[in-house]
Amino acid sequence: MLNKILFSALSFLIISASNLFAVSYQDTLTNNVGAVLQTDAVQHTLPDPFIVLPFVILLLMIATGPVFYKHFWEHHYPKIAIILGLITVVYYLFVLGDSHSLLHTLTEYISFIALLSSLFVASGGILVKVDKKVTPVLNVGLLLFGALISNVIGTTGASMLLIRPYIKVNQNRISPYHIIFFIFIVSNIGGALTPIGDPPLFLGFLRGVPFFWVIGAVWFIWLPTLILLLLVFYFIDSRNKAEANESKTYSGKIEFKGLKNLIYLTIILVSVFLDPSILSWVPSLYPLPFGIREIIMFAVVFISYKAADKEVLKANEFDFEPIKEVAYLFVGIFATMIPALQLIANQAKEMGEKLSEGIFYWATGLLSGFLDNAPTYLNFLSASMGKYGLDVNNSSHVIQFTNNYESYLVAISVAAVFFGAMTYIGNGPNFMVKAISERAGITMPSFFVYLIKYAVPILLPIFFLVWLVFFI
Amino acid sequence: MFDKNLEGLYYGNRLILPFQCSFLKVVVNRDIITDFSPKSKHLSISKEGNFTNLYFHEYENLKETISEFEAIKLVIVEKGKNVFDFSNHIKLAVYLEDKHKLRIEKIDDDILFIE
Repeated sequence: MLNKILFSALSFLIISASNLFAVSYQDTLTNNVGAVLQTDAVQHTLPDPFIVLPFVILLLMIATGPVFYKHFWEHHYPKIAIILGLITVVYYLFVLGDSHSLLHTLTEYISFIALLSSLFVASGGILVKVDKKVTPVLNVGLLLFGALISNVIGTTGASMLLIRPYIKVNQNRISPYHIIFFIFIVSNIGGALTPIGDPPLFLGFLRGVPFFWVIGAVWFIWLPTLILLLLVFYFIDSRNKAEANESKTYSGKIEFKGLKNLIYLTIILVSVFLDPSILSWVPSLYPLPFGIREIIMFAVVFISYKAADKEVLKANEFDFEPIKEVAYLFVGIFATMIPALQLIANQAKEMGEKLSEGIFYWATGLLSGFLDNAPTYLNFLSASMGKYGLDVNNSSHVIQFTNNYESYLVAISVAAVFFGAMTYIGNGPNFMVKAISERAGITMPSFFVYLIKYAVPILLPIFFLVWLVFFI
Repeated sequence: MFDKNLEGLYYGNRLILPFQCSFLKVVVNRDIITDFSPKSKHLSISKEGNFTNLYFHEYENLKETISEFEAIKLVIVEKGKNVFDFSNHIKLAVYLEDKHKLRIEKIDDDILFIE
């Protein structure tokens, strides 16, 4: 019964936006979904600041729910996210009469979920077994490999793929710091080089940031940060004197199962570019709020799950719950953040010159650590563009901003991705890795212990250095 | 005893295991349970005949929480065996199947479970 109500509410969110999409924009839109994100000459009335309240409530609940009222949150988060999202939808439809912002958001949400869910399911069907004697060097190698592939299969995919072999290889000497450095490096900082790497960068890509801009603009910050973190890890791991299993003989082999899923991962990667606004020969599915890309990605979800080796799914303890959680929460986040984006952009325009790259770096970073980094990235992208009278909803404005004010976008991109590692709630995969580790029997530190004992003493000095060197 | 798979039963939040044993660690969903005292807020244990009942207080229906490829994991010591000898510690994965049946397997090398 409850599921039916939730499904109806979710359908209302989607259908209401879809219907209005067809009616209100038939005169202005060009014939493709990509253009929905591009054509945006409509001027909106600014929302009342009180309507940001559902967004604030939702983010606070996401931050506190899993920590302070875990079982209530586990049972009720879908209802909470949808109800808060509906408040904003109803306000925009019936008070502001602005269906365009809703449509825009719906299109973006579908793309976002299509990418995350397809990476999640395809990588969940691959099993990696490392039969080597563990050493700090091997661990550094695994973390570095994870950082690199997180730019190809996303921090979610890389975390799913590597956390189990990483724990397995360390099983006789595993400590919470192993998992925490994995979260720092593979689940967050590693994925700063491409829009596939981390959700905030994908949102930027959907808004118009060129795909290959990120790697060119960020690698020289990414590389020293990664090296510093790996050095710190190596130093700590070298002091871990717990022995590997001495009685066991190691074959030295690395074994893969479910490798056919690499084909699915390749399909996902290629399909990212199948957007009419990137490749003109790609057909548009207008007036539907999704395109060929999203259909391919959802098809990959279905096919890769159905065709997966059941033994691999069993060994990976595959479960849809983590992606279901992201799908529900982001319905709420995407809907409720619409007024926040518009108000912040307007506010930034008024504050003008006072806002430097450094301020954007710290503001984006600190909020990314305690809220989710994807909406935070968009909020601050909106604010920095607003400073120059540009609109984040207009992709030509985003390209203009990328070309003319690159340093701001670098500061926001780096901060959103890097600081996502500050807490368990900073980025989607953090909690997933924590959950997998706990299911494996490892007692993980609480929210505050993670923050005080690991993130603040290890990450903050490094992030401070990044600020000193690149953003002052 | 655990060389081949065993079958048990489950109803709601209750597992019925077809043996008697001492529990050292139970992992259900994200909860790691090591408190098996009568006052444990997580679960209670009752033994009858050759069976052991586990009642998980924080779950109304385990089937709604544990999906097809997930397991409830146990570290146990068979009744009468020396609990202090690590070679007697047995890791088990308990899968919830249809019609209230439990499939109980000794954890193989593929399944991740740190004691």
